[in-house]
Amino acid sequence: MSPAGAQTDAGPGDRQRIRLRARVEAAASTYHELAGWDDVAAHAAGLADRVALAPSLHAAQPGLATRLEARGCTVVIPGDEDPAADVADVPVAIVAGELAVSETGGVLVAEHALADRVVTMLCQRLVQVVAADAVVERLEDVAVWLAERNGQAGFASLMTGPSRTADIERSLTIGVQGPDEVDVLVLTGADAVTEEPTS
Amino acid sequence: MSSLRPFEERYATALADPDVRGGLTAFQRGWRDSRDAAIADLEQQEGRSFDELRAELAAIKDGVLADWEHHLDTFTANAQAAGAEVVRVATPGEANALITERMQRAGADLLVKGKSMVSEEIGLNAHLEAAGISPVETDLGEWILQLAEETPSHLVMPAIHKRRHAVAALFERVLDRPFPPDDIDRMVKVARTELRERFLASSVGLSGANALIAEGGAIMLVCNEGNNRMSVALPKLHVVTAGIEKLVPTYADAMRQVRLLARSATGQPITVYTNFLTGPRPGQEQLIVLLDNGRTAMAEDPDVAAALRCIRCGACADVCPPYGIVGGHAFGHVYTGAIGLVNTSFHHGIEAAAGPQSLCVSCGACATVCPVNIPLPVQILEVRETVARSGEAGNAGRVTRSALRAFQHPRLVDVGLRVAGVVTTPLRRDGVTALPAALTSRGPLAARVGWRTPPAVPTRPARDTLRPRRLEEPPRLAKQPLAGRKVQLFLQCLSDRLAPDIPIAAAKLLRAAGAQVTVPREQHCCGLPAYDSGEQDTARDMVRQTMAALSDGADVVTPASSCLAMLAHDAPHLLRGDIAEVERAQELAGRTYDLISYLTSGPGRLPPGSLDDGDRTPVTVHRFCQASNTLGRGEAIEAFLRDVAGAPVVPLPEAGECCGFGGSTSVRNPELSAGILDRKLGCVDRTDASILITDNPGCILHLRGGVHASGREVEVLHLAEYLVRRLPGATSTPQER
Repeated sequence: MSPAGAQTDAGPGDRQRIRLRARVEAAASTYHELAGWDDVAAHAAGLADRVALAPSLHAAQPGLATRLEARGCTVVIPGDEDPAADVADVPVAIVAGELAVSETGGVLVAEHALADRVVTMLCQRLVQVVAADAVVERLEDVAVWLAERNGQAGFASLMTGPSRTADIERSLTIGVQGPDEVDVLVLTGADAVTEEPTS
Repeated sequence: MSSLRPFEERYATALADPDVRGGLTAFQRGWRDSRDAAIADLEQQEGRSFDELRAELAAIKDGVLADWEHHLDTFTANAQAAGAEVVRVATPGEANALITERMQRAGADLLVKGKSMVSEEIGLNAHLEAAGISPVETDLGEWILQLAEETPSHLVMPAIHKRRHAVAALFERVLDRPFPPDDIDRMVKVARTELRERFLASSVGLSGANALIAEGGAIMLVCNEGNNRMSVALPKLHVVTAGIEKLVPTYADAMRQVRLLARSATGQPITVYTNFLTGPRPGQEQLIVLLDNGRTAMAEDPDVAAALRCIRCGACADVCPPYGIVGGHAFGHVYTGAIGLVNTSFHHGIEAAAGPQSLCVSCGACATVCPVNIPLPVQILEVRETVARSGEAGNAGRVTRSALRAFQHPRLVDVGLRVAGVVTTPLRRDGVTALPAALTSRGPLAARVGWRTPPAVPTRPARDTLRPRRLEEPPRLAKQPLAGRKVQLFLQCLSDRLAPDIPIAAAKLLRAAGAQVTVPREQHCCGLPAYDSGEQDTARDMVRQTMAALSDGADVVTPASSCLAMLAHDAPHLLRGDIAEVERAQELAGRTYDLISYLTSGPGRLPPGSLDDGDRTPVTVHRFCQASNTLGRGEAIEAFLRDVAGAPVVPLPEAGECCGFGGSTSVRNPELSAGILDRKLGCVDRTDASILITDNPGCILHLRGGVHASGREVEVLHLAEYLVRRLPGATSTPQER
């Protein structure tokens, strides 16, 4: 892991990530830059020994479950029958983000199927993984992503920090009907998108 | 249609509950800090001002209204293509019947609800319960209120009127176990557990919509708790209830709304979840119910159409002084805050809108924070006129109308107040009418005068003293920017009759700066009291009379900023039916100044130090609310006092907030006015200043009365009264104290 700290000769991508980190942390999430999916597995395994994966992520990165199991984790992948029961209060869940927005610190997650959605709704700690080249500057970039999918049914959620409420005396309480904690992992290595051979 | 209790009952209940005022004052202060910081951050990020950003969003919303059917059709077609069923309904009855029928068809007896103001608007819960269906609110605040059998008091923070001890007591009663009042975290966790079971058990979920995105046929739904996501995801039927004004053409437009929505609502840059739903998920049905319920009528009324821009952020309540005293159960109807004073008459009828109208102090604060730039103060006065015409204002309305019609006659007012001055002479003390303690401490008059001593009524109005050659020649300033310049002094009716020292001091000051001051005899009242009371015909007559009195083309200076606001801002609006009259009003507005603007940015600009007599007694400044909010004045008085008069100025917390005078509000709702005054004087106490300066006579009489009644040692002065003391060789010789 390497911090996206101040760099004197930071390029546009670096500056985006520096800004993203600031916004992510301001939203009470944690921010990490990792090389690839091995590091993701290590990060999650360091948090809990039971980890849920969004089915769409499992389909795209089938080796991730293997990596987690190799680190002693029980992997939960919700099925279609009763996905909510499968992942209810699972300690950690991992999803892939389509975009991360440096303007707000939010991660856009596409989760049309219920089995994907319950993962981000019902876990206690949510790990959001996004490729470094999917870090965008502004909300308008999200608008473009959404507009490109006009005509298709879908559900996309821009998630910015853990769930919270201030409904009682405007007193901030973290963790209501969603995760109590959120980790944003930005993959900077060459294998950020492509699945590695898992041998 | 509404099952809410009568307004008078809600108002009395709110006043009797100390939690309401205590909690809301803290809430408003906290919100203000968060919101201002968030908006400042946004302005820096975007390189544009809040005004520019909100104008952009307002234009998007106005553009939708200009081609409403097209955008509705586009949204409908795209949503249907994505698998949703879209039904447009005209009335709450149609909406309730449709949703109930679909639930019954699905065999559902439980509905999990995300936050939806439209469901409140149509009274859905009561309708479902009558049909044997249990609606369960899942937003924490809404759930608390459902347990308490109450309705939301705020658009965004529905239970903000309840303090933590009340919520803990409620949970103890309903859930039958102890809840320590300070353990909010535990209350939230228990709510999570209780509601989780309902989410998993329900086959139908309901949500509102923060925006309907036409190009995608998509719903934008924001929330912080995550309950909305569960309400829309888990059930097999997802019902969306939305007003037809929620349309935006594109996703990019929705993002502009996102930038302003959370910052205005809670002071966050963005909510935790900003969801975009296009059609139902696999294995689910989606029913989108688009409600009119008076919205088309609003769109067709040019005076209120802009209220359809509203994005339900609640900011107009968060800055509203009366809301801070009585909360949303009294200040509004189903929709609370300033926007509720406008749209209630269209959604729930004029009788529902009538009562809360009397609570608005017309301070204009709501318009300054509205993220879609709705001219709420003007719209409220339009609805108020409708209420006045309808007769729904009751006896108080009839009394007000009669009094204002009598006030239209200068001769009648003149004789009446001279007589009152003579009669009350024995009670005149230091500018107030010192009533016997027996009257102010108990009995029916106590609520009216116990908290605010009435002003003294002089036997001689200012206009008598200001007749040619009656006023002694004041000492002249070394530099006279107004040398040889003719100035018409517009006295203001209130100060002419009840605080003559104010216009007299203004006249002296202007003369000291070299002006030839005249006092047109035909002047009376600018029409503001009538306009504020919804009596627009009377107000128009008084504006016309004022324009005639001040028609000679010379500069007009008034010591009352409220008159400037009326003549410059409201008169052209009132006269909008006649372009020639509008032009005359604009011509007058172009040469009319309040004293501070004449002396700082107008022809009478005084050089630094020219009124510095060496007195360094600290002063503090109350900024007349309409000067701040309507005229856009910032710290002009403070800067002038520092730079020109050399006075040490102690910043007044909440300096620009209303003092509670609010025209007729302080007469019709004295308890409310007293609460706002108490908050203002509490801020004055925090400065430790012994002199409080402002520049609107109504505020001064109100503040002086409050200071006197509370026994505070603070001198309340008009800017002119303070400055005239600093003229070379000046002596303070009030006319009749």
